[in-house]
This record gives sequence, structure tokens and C-alpha cells, in this order.
Amino acid sequence: MSGHVKIMYPQVSISPTARTWLSLMLVVAIHPSDAGAACGNTPCGPSLQRSLKLTRLMHKESGDLLKTYKASQGDQSDLFCQKSSNIVPDPIISGLDPSERILSIYSHCKTFLPHLTRVTEQQTDLQPPSSPLLNQLLTAQNRISGLGNQINCLYQTLFPNLPIPPEPVDGPMSVPPPQNVFQQKIYGCVVLKRFKEFLANSARELKTIKDQMCSRRKTFGHANALF
Amino acid sequence: MLSLFFLILYIPAVMSSSSQTAAIYPQDPALTIGSTLTATCSVSPDLGLHASSLFWSLNGRRLPSSSYSVLSPTALSVTLPGLPASRQRSGDNLVCHNHGGHVLAGSCLYVGMPPVKPVNLTCWSRNTKDLTCRWAPGGQGETFIRTKYTLKYKFRWYGRERECEEHSAAQPYSCYIPGDLALFTPYEIWVEATNQLGSATSDVITLDILDVVTTDPPSGVCVSRVGDLEDHLTVRWESPPALKDFLFQAKYQIRYRLEDSSDWKVMDDVGNQTSCRLAGLRPGTVYFVQVRCNPVGIYGSRRAGIWSEWSHPTAASTPHSERVSSGSCDSKSGDSNSTLRRELKQFFGWVRKHAYGCSGMSIKLYDQWRVWMQKSHKTRNQVLQGDKS
Repeated sequence: MSGHVKIMYPQVSISPTARTWLSLMLVVAIHPSDAGAACGNTPCGPSLQRSLKLTRLMHKESGDLLKTYKASQGDQSDLFCQKSSNIVPDPIISGLDPSERILSIYSHCKTFLPHLTRVTEQQTDLQPPSSPLLNQLLTAQNRISGLGNQINCLYQTLFPNLPIPPEPVDGPMSVPPPQNVFQQKIYGCVVLKRFKEFLANSARELKTIKDQMCSRRKTFGHANALF
Repeated sequence: MLSLFFLILYIPAVMSSSSQTAAIYPQDPALTIGSTLTATCSVSPDLGLHASSLFWSLNGRRLPSSSYSVLSPTALSVTLPGLPASRQRSGDNLVCHNHGGHVLAGSCLYVGMPPVKPVNLTCWSRNTKDLTCRWAPGGQGETFIRTKYTLKYKFRWYGRERECEEHSAAQPYSCYIPGDLALFTPYEIWVEATNQLGSATSDVITLDILDVVTTDPPSGVCVSRVGDLEDHLTVRWESPPALKDFLFQAKYQIRYRLEDSSDWKVMDDVGNQTSCRLAGLRPGTVYFVQVRCNPVGIYGSRRAGIWSEWSHPTAASTPHSERVSSGSCDSKSGDSNSTLRRELKQFFGWVRKHAYGCSGMSIKLYDQWRVWMQKSHKTRNQVLQGDKS
């Protein structure tokens, strides 16, 4: 390193301390969007496959979670999930092109997390500490955070020139005001039902993207190889 | 299932607290088992519903209309006598429906009993470093609703009371104090139980940490044969390392059982040795052995501590008996006494002859006799084979 510096600046001698500070400043100056390089350079590589596998795992777990939730709320809890609400994020993936749809998945991950957190808080008060529901809810929270990061990485890898908006585009992140217990039971059921549907939709979407974009890249790759 | 048939579509405005179409009073009440509840469902006039068209359900079962009372065109009440304990901790679902089965409003009932003072409060310290306490709820009724238990402790003659904060989800009636405990100082410890229906406090126990010390089970437990002795096994172990810094004498207990039996035999008089010989065992048999430790006399105290858990089972087998392998029949339970008696007679005869009537009868003498018996048995066999040839 010192030899390299001397070649670039033959008239300047730099102390070791200054050299260290210079190195640190160069590291800090790297634009955050270049973190995409840390996500991997291969658009159709492990990142997409990991995201798809994680989404499928979460979808499977969300089915068990919903079942455990209903069993913990008492009889008649099947009804609770039928509620329509504008507070809880909807499970629909929006957007016309793959970039918008991946962004929609990412946004949903962000908007579902505070609702899952709120349901966990409420159920912590309602259930005995040993209830398996609480662990399952915590797992869902951890996983949705991880999935959000994965999708973020995937987006940057697939579309490195497109920025991610600072705020999620799909729905508000606000959670409902204080509710009575019956309302909490309903709210939790709606959140988990839509969460499950969202994961099913996301898995389907990621599969489609993988089939469409990665097949297309392979085709172009082969074509380019001919010339 | 019939109740599910009634209840379809969505719940219109139950979720929105700002524009409720219906409400139930009381909301989420706590009630005593056996008490009577009268609840009222009030619907907004905007719905255009008459109270007489509404119905109630409790935990999915439709309540009989004989228990209803129309208070006004928009208010219907229901009376529930003799309430049973809540079915689930999250509360029983009392729901008001319209004639089509749509859910208009709900209220969760918490039916239980006020706590009875907790009982069987016991505490123990692992290696004087911490304190774990355990208790039992005083009554069953309090278990149907959320009841909070707080373990509190203070020095007996001074200091402020403190609360134990580390609860285990797996063991709801226990608490763990990880450290910062004084020795040679009596503590007062008790449990306070509280729920929506009342509270209760356990009796106070007084203890010194050094009086309730337990330790880890002995490590390195090893069971091996004693030469060819067919009815002996030797057990060796190491004392728990956590207590090596304390001035104490540990005492140990050994228990052992046959492989296919669940009956343990316990040897109490092991003292503070770290080895012991088991005798009088069945030849050619697998035995499971465990050892546990009691930290006696910590810091000069003469009091015994609390027995540790048993060590993991260690197995070993006694050598096969040559007499058995030569085809002698297995003795049945009724014959074992006569076999023992015969052996004892032989043993005493040998003592008179070879130990010159030694008054110090001991297991060592018995072992010597066993060795002598085996040697003489081998010699006899050799002579017999020599005769045949």
C-alpha cells in the first residue's frame, strides 16, 4: 500500500496516521447503493433462489401459525378472519413490470412487520407464557425482516439503476389504536390470514420472475455467444 | 359446526372503534366462577335493526332466547347464570349477532377465582451462586384466568424488598435470582399472587443461602469389573468441581439397578469417598449405576445441603459365572434364599478355617473368599479333566 501511494504522489510523503484516515474516508465515501455489490453480482443466482425458498418456507409456517392462532382464541374464531379492514395491509402484489412487483413485495414486507409486532404484543397479554403461538409469532417477525432484506438485495441486483423509494408504496404502516380484547382477536386473525395470502402471492410472483427473467437472460446469453 | 353455518360473511364495523355499529356492555369483564352475568348489546339505529332480531352466542354456541330480554328497540340483553370457568386464557367469546348471523360485537369473559395464597414455597441455591424458588398455586380457580405471581425477598432484619424478575416460560411457578446474594445472612422470601379478582400472599420463609445449597452431580462416573469376580463392580467418580473452593465434605449416594428393572437399590453409606465397590450382584448381568452428591459442611457449617441430581446412568456388566455357563439351571426366586444360605455356610466355614475366627468380619474378607472359591473351582476342573484323559 505504501509503495502504491508513493508512485501516485511522488512529491508527497504521508504519515501512517494520515494514511489510515485516508483509507477510512475512502471506505465511508462509498455510496450506500453500491451495497448491491455485496448482494451478489448474478441476477439469477443464489439471491433469487434463496428468496423464493424463504418465501415458500414462510408460507408453510404461516399456515401453521394461523391454525395455532385460531385454536388459541376459542371457538368461533374462524369467523374473526372474515373481517374486511383498511388498517391491515392487503395481500395483493401490485405493479405492471417485474421491478414494480418486486418493489411491491418489498413494501409489503415492511408494512406487515409492525402489524405482526402488534399482534405479538397483544397475544403476549392474552396467552399463557408457554403458549406455542408466541414463539411462532416471533419467528414470523424475524423471518419477514429477513425476507425484506433479501428482496431488497434482489431488487438491487436485478435493477441496479433503479432506486428504492424511501417509504413503502403499498399501504400505511400504522397499527390500529387500542382495542378491546374481542377486537384484538379479530385484528390478529385478519393480519395472519392476509399475511399467509401475501406469502402465497409472493412465492408465485418470484417463481414467475425467475422463469421469465432468468430464462430470457439465458436466451440472450446463448445468442451473444454466437457472435 | 352448526354455529359456523350461521356465521358467514364479514364483521362490519367491529374493528373500528371510531364508528362502531354495535357494542356490548360490559366489555371484557372478569367474573367469579358460578356468578351470573347480564350483558347488553346495543346497536346503532343506523343499522335499521330491531333488538328482537338479534341473538347471542357464547364460545360458538347459540344461547337460548329464553335468556334474552329486549331492553329497547336497539338493546338486547342476555343473562348467564352459574358461569363455568373460562375455556381458554384469552377469554370466552360472548358475541352479539344479527338475524343473518353476522357478528355485530363481542366481549371476552374471564371467569375464574381470586388467588389463594401460594403454597409449598421452596428454594435452593446452586453452588451458593444463585437462588431458584418454586411454589404451587393455592387454588385451581385462579389458573383459569391470568394470575401474576411475584416472588419477593429481603434481608430479614433490614433492607428493602426486591422482586425476582427472571421467570421461566416452561415453569410458570418458579423464579430465578441469578446472583448478588449474601451469605451468612437470613433472607425472607414470599410470593404474591394477583389477578383481576383479588390477590393473596404466601407464607414467608426464612433461609440462609448456605442452608439450601445443592451442586452438580458427580462427573466422570465410571463402572468397571473387579478382576474376575462375577458379583462385584467398582464405581469411581469425581467430586463436583464447582465446590472445590469451599471448605466442605461432600457425601455421596449410589443407586443401581438391573438393566431390565425399574427398581433402584440405594447405597447410603458411601461417605465422602469417590469410589465404592458393589457386591452381591448377579453374574453376567448388566447394571445401571448413578451417583449423586450432597454438599455437607459448606464454610464450616455442619448442616447437610440438598442432594444434587443423579449423574447420567453408567452401565457395566458383571462377568459370567463359570458354573452358570457349564449348564446349571437358573435358580428361581424361591431357591435364591437357600442358595444364599448355602454360600454363607461355606463362607463361615472358610473363615473359621483360614481366618482363624477373625472377629473383623468385612466385605474384604468376603472378597478374599470369593477369589479363593474361584481358584479352587478351577483347580477342581483341571483335576477332573486330567482324570478323563
